[in-house]
Amino acid sequence: MAGMKFSVLFAAGLPLVAPLSLSAAVKSGHAEAELIAGVSSYQPGKSFPVAVRLTVDPGWHTYWINPGIGGMPVKATWTLPDGWKAGELQQPVPKRFMTGDLPGFGYEGETVFLVDLTPPPGATGEAECKVKLAWLTCDDSACVPGDAELSVKLEAGDGEPGKDSELFKAAGEKIPAEKELGFMVRENGDQLTLFFIDAGEIDLSNVSAFPATPDVVDPADPIKIGKTRDAWMAYAKKSEYTEGPVTQLDIVLSGGKLKQPLLLSWRAEK
Amino acid sequence: MKHNTFLGAVLGAMICSATAYAIEPGEAAPAFTVKNVKGEEVSLADHKDKVVVLEWLNHDCPYVKKHYGSGNLPKLQETYTAKGVVWISINSNAGVNASDLAARSAKEGSKASQVVVDPDGKVGKAYDAKTTPHMIVIGKDGKVAYNGAIDSINSTDAADIEKADKHVVAALDALLSGKTVELAKTKPYGCGVKYAK
Repeated sequence: MAGMKFSVLFAAGLPLVAPLSLSAAVKSGHAEAELIAGVSSYQPGKSFPVAVRLTVDPGWHTYWINPGIGGMPVKATWTLPDGWKAGELQQPVPKRFMTGDLPGFGYEGETVFLVDLTPPPGATGEAECKVKLAWLTCDDSACVPGDAELSVKLEAGDGEPGKDSELFKAAGEKIPAEKELGFMVRENGDQLTLFFIDAGEIDLSNVSAFPATPDVVDPADPIKIGKTRDAWMAYAKKSEYTEGPVTQLDIVLSGGKLKQPLLLSWRAEK
Repeated sequence: MKHNTFLGAVLGAMICSATAYAIEPGEAAPAFTVKNVKGEEVSLADHKDKVVVLEWLNHDCPYVKKHYGSGNLPKLQETYTAKGVVWISINSNAGVNASDLAARSAKEGSKASQVVVDPDGKVGKAYDAKTTPHMIVIGKDGKVAYNGAIDSINSTDAADIEKADKHVVAALDALLSGKTVELAKTKPYGCGVKYAK
């Protein structure tokens, strides 16, 4: 009898061991979280993406890496097999919103964060990758935290993409790509002047700008970029919480004529 | 001189933008009179020559729950009022009800010197209180000595209290021993104060 069952399974084309590449959605507070692997198996030594999909109830929002005033960024704490590494949560371009009187940056509805996981060169066998997520959702009248423990299990194999390739492609398009550009910040009292200089003549008309480094730019400042003589520039109000001179700013540019969102970084010369 | 209309528009917008006026450390703490949960008047002027803590709260906020549920704030209130600090907890949310707040404060174990209601938000706006919690510490000279977060970790997890830099404790200990407050301003974290429109 057992033998017949065995052959029936084969006939149905079902794998004997199915990789658990999707963690069941967990609802907590006003959001639901899922963890999805981007591959159907891992290759030792080769990074692969996983997706954290957070779906926030209508009327509520959650927060970006720079939350603005009064919010909290999504936190991910990984528990991985020995030698495995997890990168940072790669955050898509946020939107600006107000929570009551407080300006902030973050997300409404469905958001997909990507994380690169890297198995060590000698990795073998089944790997369980667990993440503990914590987030904050707010609306104008209240804030409610949420958390979830999610995991995916993968076997070693050929590292082929999983069945959710569209999800990963769409998520990737919303995550800013680092770009080398002549991006410079000058401080003048309460004001910052941002310069964007590109010999290749990038077009920044109607671009939205978001300060990724917290507490440098006042979150209420829209950072309107305009063309002046040879450079694209913006004036922005400094955050009232800057400690000492401004020495760094990461900025996300999106929209306008840009084919993809960009992440520019400026660090003061030492 | 070339007139650049873009620059002009941006500068004009900056000058005209209205922002709430935060009280910077070193400035005189604005005077106020407000009612406590028993209906009695409480004035900052009643406490001249004392160190005063103003603690904005909203017991429905998960950040305030973190600090009361863990016993952290009641313990700080008890410790420092015993050292002569005047601790005033303020709810500046629209529609705050004095008797509800009295009951809730007792339930949460508050050891504050005073719990006051500011439903029209006058005191909150005078201090540009943004979040709950938002902490203002006033020195014996009547000047703001600390303005900002209760501690250094922005989270709703009580386990973070022990690990965090305790900004308000540091400010109070400095003031009580006649020293300068080293870290006088930080960005507050918490739920927004729900001011009346």
